Amino acid sequence: MRLHQAAVALAMTVALVSLPASVSGQGAAPEQPTAPWPPAQTPDGQPDVQSVWSPVGGGTQSLDPAMSSNALFQERVTGVGSRNPSRIVDPPDGHIPYQPWAAALQQELEAVYETPTRPEHIDTQTRCMGPGVPRLYYFPRFRILQPADSVVFVWDEYHSFRVIPLDGRPHIGPNVKLYSGDGRGRWEGNTLVVDTTNLNAKSRLDVVGDFFSDNAQIEERFIFIDGATMHYEATITDPTVFTRPWTMRVVQKRRPDEEFWEWACHEGERDSAESSSQIVGSDAGRN
Amino acid sequence: MLRSSGLLCLAVALCLSPSPASAQTGDGDAQASENAGIPRTRDSKPDLSGIWQALNRANDDLLDHSASEGVPAGLGVVEGGEIPYRPEALEQRQKNLANRETRDTEATCYLPGVPRVTYMPFPFQIIQMPDVTTILYEYVHATRYLYTNGSPHPEGPIEWWMGDSRGHWEGDTLVVDVVHFGDQTWFDRTGNFHSDALHVVERYSLLDADHINYEVTIEDPKVFTRSWKMRMILYRHREPNFQLLDYDCYAFEWEKYYPYPGR
Repeated sequence: MRLHQAAVALAMTVALVSLPASVSGQGAAPEQPTAPWPPAQTPDGQPDVQSVWSPVGGGTQSLDPAMSSNALFQERVTGVGSRNPSRIVDPPDGHIPYQPWAAALQQELEAVYETPTRPEHIDTQTRCMGPGVPRLYYFPRFRILQPADSVVFVWDEYHSFRVIPLDGRPHIGPNVKLYSGDGRGRWEGNTLVVDTTNLNAKSRLDVVGDFFSDNAQIEERFIFIDGATMHYEATITDPTVFTRPWTMRVVQKRRPDEEFWEWACHEGERDSAESSSQIVGSDAGRN
Repeated sequence: MLRSSGLLCLAVALCLSPSPASAQTGDGDAQASENAGIPRTRDSKPDLSGIWQALNRANDDLLDHSASEGVPAGLGVVEGGEIPYRPEALEQRQKNLANRETRDTEATCYLPGVPRVTYMPFPFQIIQMPDVTTILYEYVHATRYLYTNGSPHPEGPIEWWMGDSRGHWEGDTLVVDVVHFGDQTWFDRTGNFHSDALHVVERYSLLDADHINYEVTIEDPKVFTRSWKMRMILYRHREPNFQLLDYDCYAFEWEKYYPYPGR
């Protein structure tokens, strides 16, 4: 499985390294798509922000500092660190305010994610489990659709999706837990505010094991700044795991409209039980 | 209870539907006059948006079948009640049936292909826009994009679990051409199957605000001697505040390990 990840990382690296060369060969930087501002309105009166969007410096390796698996791979190859700041904007020190037991667990996971000896040492992303909220918003790209009375997010990776009703309906009952939770939205000017509950917490926040529990509640703010830019802010409140609410920010840019082609993950896995058992016992590391 | 009421609805809907002849010829004008009361989009197309579900036993078996333990009886959805296998393909289908516990991609929770995803016993949500209709399925959160902007299929060969869907309107019927499949998925739990030469044409027609007549033509010269059709009704969920939930069945075996065991 790690071999596979390394191959993907290598392929991405090659793509990223070769892209600027071909672009500069044409003598022009890719143009940043934009839309008129203030935005047009949808028929039901929402600010129309329908487009493909991508995070600036996306990646799900770690939040603190913000890093993609690809950047980590490059760092190991070149020996040059990327020195990204943390995605966490509150608390001001940029660190997730874990309770001591939770900090210890996260550090334990970070120490073993490349040398797993137990099933839970493997990141949920590697298992094709839904990345959930907020992790999906630092995946490479997503599409926003705005049918009447709702905002819909669709990703190509993991073929994840969320439907956020805007009609003021209550949350579903507390006994139903979902990978991306149960979001209820409202527009405040050009900011979409989503209250997300019912999280199953089966996903992690990044590869290095940052996490919350199914007691978490997330307030998400999609702050549309101009025709090209949106700030995604997620404030996570979870008294089971953290000492205080904390907030991450991911800057998103409008992308050219392009088709999302199939991105299957679990499909083709011949024997996931066998591949998991290989990590346990004397031949740990063979996988 | 749900099942029996569903079957009752099916019978009622069939009674209310346009004559089979007009439905099968796709006579758009005739359907438009009959379907004057259906919801329409701002561009005057029938509006398929909403949450829908098939209420039939096609996923158990596309054909007529008696009840067996854990499997309700079902009336078939295949026109003429027969799937026209080539002789060697029929042998393969019998092998599939014998090995279905492990060979059916439903058992491995893979993306189920088209049209099977439509009649998996789970709701799905249609979001119709002028250029593309997006379908979100509760079952393994599958997604499809039915492009209606005149774009062609991408050049193959491509093997996608859910194929590539390009649609257009014929009168009030959304006609979707689907190609670029692999050969792994089945049509049902009894091993009815196809090859990578599968070509699916779906036809979505609103009968009224809450029922879609769904017809599918299956072509696959490697497996079948001729094209064949299925037909079923899709029902709108009218429950207040109904919404899609999760069924990520491949994840069930891992869920106990996350976020942390015993915490």
